[in-house]
Amino acid sequence: MTETARVWLVVALTLLGLFFSFVSMVGVLRLPDVYSRAHTASQADTLGAGFGLAAVALTVGLAGAGFKSVLLLFFIFVTNPTAAHAIARAAFEEGIVPWVEGDDRR
Amino acid sequence: MWWVADAGPSPGDDDPDTEASADPEATSDSDAASAPASGAVIVPVEPSSTLRSTIAHIAEAAATEGASALHLVEIASWRNGDPESDERAAAAERVLERAAAWARADLEDSEAPGAPDVEVVMAVLGADGYLFGADDYVRVLAEYAEANDADRVVLDPEYTPVGNTTLLQPLEFALSNTPLSVETAPVDRPTRRERFRTEATTGRFVALFGLSLAFYLLLGDPTYWFDAVTGVATAAVVSITLSRVSLDSDPAFPRTPMRIVRGLIYVPVLLFEIVKANLVVARVILDPRLPIEPTLNRMRVIVGSGLPLMTLANSITLTPGTLTVRARDSDLYVHSLVPWAREGLFDGPLERWTRFVYYGRRAARLPSPRERDDVAILQGPDATEELPIAAADGGDPGSGVESESSGGAAVEVESSDDSTDADGVTDR
Amino acid sequence: MSLVDASLAAGYTLGDFLLVAAAGFAVLAVGMLYRAVVGPTMQDRVLAVNVLGTNTVVILAILGAALGEPTFLDIALVYALLNFLMAIAISKFTVERGGVL
Repeated sequence: MTETARVWLVVALTLLGLFFSFVSMVGVLRLPDVYSRAHTASQADTLGAGFGLAAVALTVGLAGAGFKSVLLLFFIFVTNPTAAHAIARAAFEEGIVPWVEGDDRR
Repeated sequence: MWWVADAGPSPGDDDPDTEASADPEATSDSDAASAPASGAVIVPVEPSSTLRSTIAHIAEAAATEGASALHLVEIASWRNGDPESDERAAAAERVLERAAAWARADLEDSEAPGAPDVEVVMAVLGADGYLFGADDYVRVLAEYAEANDADRVVLDPEYTPVGNTTLLQPLEFALSNTPLSVETAPVDRPTRRERFRTEATTGRFVALFGLSLAFYLLLGDPTYWFDAVTGVATAAVVSITLSRVSLDSDPAFPRTPMRIVRGLIYVPVLLFEIVKANLVVARVILDPRLPIEPTLNRMRVIVGSGLPLMTLANSITLTPGTLTVRARDSDLYVHSLVPWAREGLFDGPLERWTRFVYYGRRAARLPSPRERDDVAILQGPDATEELPIAAADGGDPGSGVESESSGGAAVEVESSDDSTDADGVTDR
Repeated sequence: MSLVDASLAAGYTLGDFLLVAAAGFAVLAVGMLYRAVVGPTMQDRVLAVNVLGTNTVVILAILGAALGEPTFLDIALVYALLNFLMAIAISKFTVERGGVL
């Protein structure tokens, strides 16, 4: 891979990461209840972080510290949904009823 | 049916020389206000962790309340004449004798005035036929109670006649339909930490040791002697303390590498699904009208417990639009953001992939959850089932509470590994 | 010459771009902070702090790459571990029945 291609790939991955993190933030701010917020928090944010860390791995190079970045990526992909599940389950055990159409909670 | 009356006279008759139990009105001077406990008390016995404290509680209660006899009964889970029935009867008798010895010792130590008058009787019930379920157990117990003039049943909180299923609540419910009074002995149950622990085997130890050492050296410098020494020490500590907790089955030769290979095939598929679905959900979220229709759904999945269930639940959560709220045995409660995501979930591609990863290609061919009729929508206009939640705010309070309590007994045992295994230690 | 010194456009290098991207992630994190403050439920706050933590991990990693400090990645790794533990622990101990694990 030539260096220019790598540079632009890093730029593209970073922008994708920023985009999905932005979606995650908008979701967390706009969605009506904790369950729907957990969706974007676990998914869009995981993907955003994934793209960001992939960009870092590509920048640093896999030979050096980059594999730590890959490790981090793997770790976030395992733990983020688990944490979201734990939070959603805690909400469920507290007895918080999921929002449905027509509910005026926001 | 046979029973052993170890103290001679037929159980339940009132000894003429005891004022305490001769007259039901003047039971025992210490505790006349308490339960109408002049008759006999029946205690179903089964080896359990709380049996000792239950016996202690019963002996004390029987002594203070002036019960005439303490019947320790074992309900047979075998049938006389079957192979091995003799051994099982002998084992049951040993348990009964031990319990009776405890009861007698407790009665001797008791300072209540009625203590010397309480008889201890042992019996094995129901060995002349097969018993199915709580109703049969109650029938046998009620017959025995009538024959022996007993009016009270005290249950050990950990009482499980069948071995590993929780029968206590159905049993209590069925007993409440009889004239017998029922109570559960108020003894402390041990905390249930044991279910996280499995047996320690060499295979698991070696696997965990290798994994943690590899992880340590990956982060450190494998060629530097200091890292090698500290790595071995750390891995030893980790595998000694955690090999019982982290892995629930031994690594096996053809199976474990195959699972890793199939898992590697699954990763790009999952990544593609995640990106594709994320784009759709991003459009929904960035839409100014916010066109969401969230519902909670239930889906019964056919994957093993433990790691396969965790893989499936995490895959569902990672795929946008669906979020696993809880995993109870094989029932997954999944929150979906848009109907499109719900339909995709019910088609079951993730379930099939999980089965492929863990059990191979042939196991992956099965009908989708929708075709199996293993799905339910719990909310919204298309709801097919009630929400199993104690409605805390909003919603209607009556309906949810009821279904929670009726379902609670059967699903007592939560699948324990759905969120614990996430530190990257796997048994693949 | 490492990749961060490669020029991108108009004399700016990839390192500069990554710094700007890290700033962007930080701005997004401030948005999350709103949810962590407003709530309304405990779980909302935990969720927001969890997402904030993930963002922090990414910011740390990007800064490590942009500034040529590979040790930042170790810090990010530890931060990610603690972030996960925090979410699990809080959701376990805020529930009365406490059966989250």
